[in-house]
Amino acid sequence: METLGFLMDGFGVALQPHNLMFALMGAFLGTLIGALPGLGPANGVAILIPLAFTLGLAPETAMIMLTSVYAGAMYGGRISSILLNIPGDEPAMMTCLDGYPMAQKGKAAEALAISAVASFVGGLVATVGLILLAPLLADFALTFGPAEYFALFLLAFATLGGITGKNPMKTVVAACIGLMIATVGIDSTGTQRYTFSVLELYEGVDFIIAIVGLFAISELMFFIEEKAGGGKEKMTVNKLSLSWADIRGIMPSSIRGGILGFIAGVLPGAGASLGSFIGYTLEKKVVGKKGYFGEGDPRGVAGPEAGNNGASSGALVPMLTLGVPGSGTTAVLLALLISLNITPGPLMFTQNADIVWGVIAALLIGNFLLLLLNIPLVGIFVKLLSVPPMYLLPIVTMVAFVGIYSISNTTFDLYFMVAFGVFGYVLRKLEIPLVPIILGLLLGPEMEKNLRHAMEISDGDWMVLWDSGLAIGLWVVAGLGLILPYIVGPLLRRRMQAGGAQSD
Amino acid sequence: MTFNDRIFGVLMIVLAVAYGWGATQFPEPFGGGAEAVGPETFPLLLAVVLTLSSLYMIVRPDPDNAWPWSRTGVELVIAVVVLVLYAMLLQPLGFIPSTLLAVGTLCWRMGASPGKAYLTGGIAGVVVFLLFNFALDLALPLGLLEFLEAT
Repeated sequence: METLGFLMDGFGVALQPHNLMFALMGAFLGTLIGALPGLGPANGVAILIPLAFTLGLAPETAMIMLTSVYAGAMYGGRISSILLNIPGDEPAMMTCLDGYPMAQKGKAAEALAISAVASFVGGLVATVGLILLAPLLADFALTFGPAEYFALFLLAFATLGGITGKNPMKTVVAACIGLMIATVGIDSTGTQRYTFSVLELYEGVDFIIAIVGLFAISELMFFIEEKAGGGKEKMTVNKLSLSWADIRGIMPSSIRGGILGFIAGVLPGAGASLGSFIGYTLEKKVVGKKGYFGEGDPRGVAGPEAGNNGASSGALVPMLTLGVPGSGTTAVLLALLISLNITPGPLMFTQNADIVWGVIAALLIGNFLLLLLNIPLVGIFVKLLSVPPMYLLPIVTMVAFVGIYSISNTTFDLYFMVAFGVFGYVLRKLEIPLVPIILGLLLGPEMEKNLRHAMEISDGDWMVLWDSGLAIGLWVVAGLGLILPYIVGPLLRRRMQAGGAQSD
Repeated sequence: MTFNDRIFGVLMIVLAVAYGWGATQFPEPFGGGAEAVGPETFPLLLAVVLTLSSLYMIVRPDPDNAWPWSRTGVELVIAVVVLVLYAMLLQPLGFIPSTLLAVGTLCWRMGASPGKAYLTGGIAGVVVFLLFNFALDLALPLGLLEFLEAT
């Protein structure tokens, strides 16, 4: 059991007092970010990256903190789904179905506690899955050559929209834009590309600036447009009365949901939304007529919530082992790794074992911390939920400004960030997804490097790109990722919407 | 209406062509252009893919989302102007005054009463400034308030 030894080392890293402290801080901030209106997990993690830098954190500490934020955001997202029937993010949609009816029946505290326990179980199951699967996948990935990597990157883009995605061609457009921005700067042969002799562009576009601009600034603009500054009604939560029998009752649902969610998270193109959807439908099937789904069945809260958290841990597998993230938030975590000068991918498991295993151990610890934080402190989070966005969003914007400014102390970066924000707003209006742009920015240099290496090996023969069975397989999956949404996408979306409509 | 996607598609094709043309203008790297993949190969590939996918957007556009004209549009322009001014004034005015103005104005335009809005801006500015300068040891510009430094 080599893995166990590494995991122990990981615990050694994660349990150091200051790492533990940052994990706790991250878990708290993450829950806040997930709970607050207008701050998705990707957005929240992005804003915190520059701050992690300016704090001068060690790489493993920064990574542990932001992974805790990531895990915490998944916890926080459910609060508004249960209390307000407004999903904090897309995967939390399914939690609304039974969570909100429970809250209406005066069982809001129970629903919140159940979802916290289910999230914990789902996260735990998936983290164990991650521990088992990640080293295997990393070993396997060592056999990849440059051609396979090139195909893998394509696959990542093609499946990013997920099979429930609306218009895959818009994903392609977005990916191209991101990759094009990534080519700005001096390339590996020393050629200046698209710098227009502007000194600030010689080193390329800093993706942190792009990410914060695209997410945070465009979010502010959306809130202004929707005049959503007023905030939501104040909420109160009843006193918790939850027995062990209740918790035992949701255990099977949580474990099933966690396993399904993990699988959905690992697979390209599935993602957390599908994970929680499958989790919910399976629960309905398994429990059958004995359940009262849609009317406040606790198992209907536990299943999708465990699935959602399982998927978010599962999504870390491709990111850590292959360096290819499958979701927006893992893309932002990848951005952190790259800016810490860590090359993501299979070699990370040998070269940066302390970081990888520290993060994995931190996930385990984070799950416990989150459970401890969430049950007693849920009242505070609920109160914060009613902070009106008209105060919140300007402050978030200011934090984004401070973070970006503190990277290089120049105002050029700030103008750049605002420009990216306006651009992001326009793209979101056109329903062009932003995540492929970010992925393009992150993976662009690696993708070009691998293309170059593949060509050097083959002496300029383009056939090398689909020369091995593995590469062909990756190309096929990538192709399917673009074609399937047109075939099964409408069908699946209709079913998910039908599921959502039932609760109204 | 399906103008948005079509117009964006056309713009992207223009971008792709300009970008592709730009790629052909790169000076040849030192040591000759014998390599299969030069600095221009990857950009040219991207230009082709972007052209094709933009063409698809023009041929099969999605229905439009409405743009916010009139008052909401003006509010958006105000917000962007505030952000640009914030960036511009951060160093000369200093962090606290510029944050007071920027955050205050944004809160106010988003619906808070002016008094509360600028109070929020001021408090946020002072708290973040103190936090960064003393707890995190990061110097944010003092600007107008530089006279405080001597004391």
